[in-house]
Amino acid sequence: MTIHRRLLSGVAPRILWMLMGLLALLIAAPYFIDKYALSVLILILYFAYVGQAWNIMMGFAGELSLGHALYAGLGGYVAAGLFTHYGLGPWAGVFAAAAAAALAGAIVGYLGFRFSLAGVYFALLTIAFGEFTRIAFDHLDWFGGSAGLFLKVDVAPNPFDLRGGPVLFYYVILALAAAAFVLSRLLLESRLGRYWLAIREDAEAAQAVGVPVLRYKLMAVMISAALTSLAGVWNAFYYNNLFPETAFGIGRSIEITLAPIIGGLGTLFGPIVGAVVLTGMGEAFTSLGDTLGIPGIKQIFYGLALLIIVMYRPAGIWPWLSERLGLGERPR
Amino acid sequence: MIDRSRFTRRQFGQAALAGATVLGAPLPLRYAQAQSAPANLKVALLLPTSGVQAQIGQACKRGADVANAVFADMKMPVKLDIANYDTETKPDVARTQAEKAIEAGAHVLVGAFDSGQTIAIAQVAEQRGVPFVVNIAAAPQITEQGYKFVVRNFPTAPMLISGAFELHKEIFKASGVTPKTAVLMSINDTFGTAMMGGIKAMFPKLDMPYQLVDTISYDPAAKDLSVEVAKAKATKADMLMPVCRLNDAKLLIQELVKQRWEPMAVMNPGSPGLYEQDFLKTMGKYGEFHISNVPWLDPKSTMTQSLEKQHAAKFAGDQLDLNGGFTFEALLIAAQAWLDAKSTKPDALMDALRKIKIDHHVMVGGPIQFDAKGQNVGIKAAAVQNLKRKPTVVMPKASAAAELVFPEPGWNDKRRT
Repeated sequence: MTIHRRLLSGVAPRILWMLMGLLALLIAAPYFIDKYALSVLILILYFAYVGQAWNIMMGFAGELSLGHALYAGLGGYVAAGLFTHYGLGPWAGVFAAAAAAALAGAIVGYLGFRFSLAGVYFALLTIAFGEFTRIAFDHLDWFGGSAGLFLKVDVAPNPFDLRGGPVLFYYVILALAAAAFVLSRLLLESRLGRYWLAIREDAEAAQAVGVPVLRYKLMAVMISAALTSLAGVWNAFYYNNLFPETAFGIGRSIEITLAPIIGGLGTLFGPIVGAVVLTGMGEAFTSLGDTLGIPGIKQIFYGLALLIIVMYRPAGIWPWLSERLGLGERPR
Repeated sequence: MIDRSRFTRRQFGQAALAGATVLGAPLPLRYAQAQSAPANLKVALLLPTSGVQAQIGQACKRGADVANAVFADMKMPVKLDIANYDTETKPDVARTQAEKAIEAGAHVLVGAFDSGQTIAIAQVAEQRGVPFVVNIAAAPQITEQGYKFVVRNFPTAPMLISGAFELHKEIFKASGVTPKTAVLMSINDTFGTAMMGGIKAMFPKLDMPYQLVDTISYDPAAKDLSVEVAKAKATKADMLMPVCRLNDAKLLIQELVKQRWEPMAVMNPGSPGLYEQDFLKTMGKYGEFHISNVPWLDPKSTMTQSLEKQHAAKFAGDQLDLNGGFTFEALLIAAQAWLDAKSTKPDALMDALRKIKIDHHVMVGGPIQFDAKGQNVGIKAAAVQNLKRKPTVVMPKASAAAELVFPEPGWNDKRRT
């Protein structure tokens, strides 16, 4: 089946039109929204993208990673380090970043899958790798150690070095999010995607019918890690500073997982819907906290809202919404 | 038959429109607010009042909460409209909040305690052309980026370390007692590791009169420091220099008392922990006489006295420390720039900030003024000794509120009450 067919097979024209309309709206957005709204939109797209990357591993292949900040952090540090020390631009550095993250993913995955670590035990392994990488980076002077790695800030637009204002970063993250969506769709419709779904549902049964489980699980981790590292590169050049505590922190890993879990695991639109809901809700509660002058109120309401969503929509918002709208995407 | 459990697309469209209307309704109001001619300077105060750094962020905020009362007390013809924005201890939230503050019409941004969050805000300030006064953030890179709209009224990390070690020499000279050896103990977190690195690099150049016999680091999650303290005691060092935070400072002193180790001094080279309110309350007499070499409020300044009075009146249970002091000063700088510029226009404010000279302020040091990079290089460290359960400036002499006690008394000395 050609890529074109694989991408569009079974998609109703109205959905295609809706998606194209949404993309057109997003492309035009910087021209009619203010800078604050743009910064919120950037966050939505960032979380949609990293959620999509994480979803490949958890939603498609069924392997729970709670240490995905490892790959984002590695990607950011590698590209930022090469840029700072050798002047190598991020468009080239991104290959080194993706390779480093994929290698880290392969090591984590091999150790976990070779020794049959599954479920929470595998999740603990991913946390452990994230944590000791954080501690290692605290002591790596080439990457600035615990004092942080700072990129030279230049507000003059230079897309070749990913230097410039928020509009440039908006279009880059929009392109990444759109590409991740398309890639996820292609993967899901491929033989690889079918193998992942089989492994997720019952790895032993998949093995029994000849699916090379270890190889395909490793591929899921490596693809997911490489994609996540691109978000790390974007993040490093957008914020222009990296600290091990924030880049590899467990909090960052949890943030990555929330959008697909709330939106709908294993679905294509889940990470996007989750990112919209969570970022929108986060902003609303932040404003509420600022208005009421009660610090921390956001976290209370945010936690409560998440609890309610998980209780009443355990499969995520998107499966429920798509059923209501008659769009038909179910968790795979 | 109609399936009532389903939305129709029309219903979905209506619901989406209603949602957008509700969410978008405040926009014209926000725009109108931003456009209306302001009576006062609008200052956006961006601080981590929730998240990991919440306690310090709130201490900073308390300094800002009494700023207008102090200005009135000091007969300054100025009143600031201060809007608070919580950065949640996250750089991405800090950036979004800065954008929101500017859209809401802020003329000056102030914040943000932490270097990562400060840099995120600095980029927004630079891109939008809005002056940004940094209250606390020590990363040297903040003023090395060539920013045109950023000034910092806080010492860089190297300034903090060298200032603290210069004070050591002054203390030895004033007391006539010089330790021959010292041991450095440090928490192994981001701050501690950075400080250890800085101290190791700078120590040989500082020509200190004592020898650094050992450096011992420990985990931030440590529940017991008996091994580390025993190791430090075994060096027989005359002085202990802890780079610590609150909880490990308590563990450290408890262990010193338990192991009956009485060094000549427990004197930190520029870190929190020893001067904090909770430390002083919990440790009682064992918290007395330790020295912190940090930037501090000048007790001789009438403005500091006013700030302390207003702070005590509004926050009776909370101690005013350097966090509140520097945040107040950041607002003082914004206010003075506005008075000088007689305008809320960014360029006029920035021009005034570059030329600013504030002789009368609250922190120890010379007049507040910024170099070409936007850094105030006149900030001095003070030796703050815990006396009568209160961090008290004992050095430099010009700002001292009490006599230095050095070497510090033993754990059973009658002076510890």
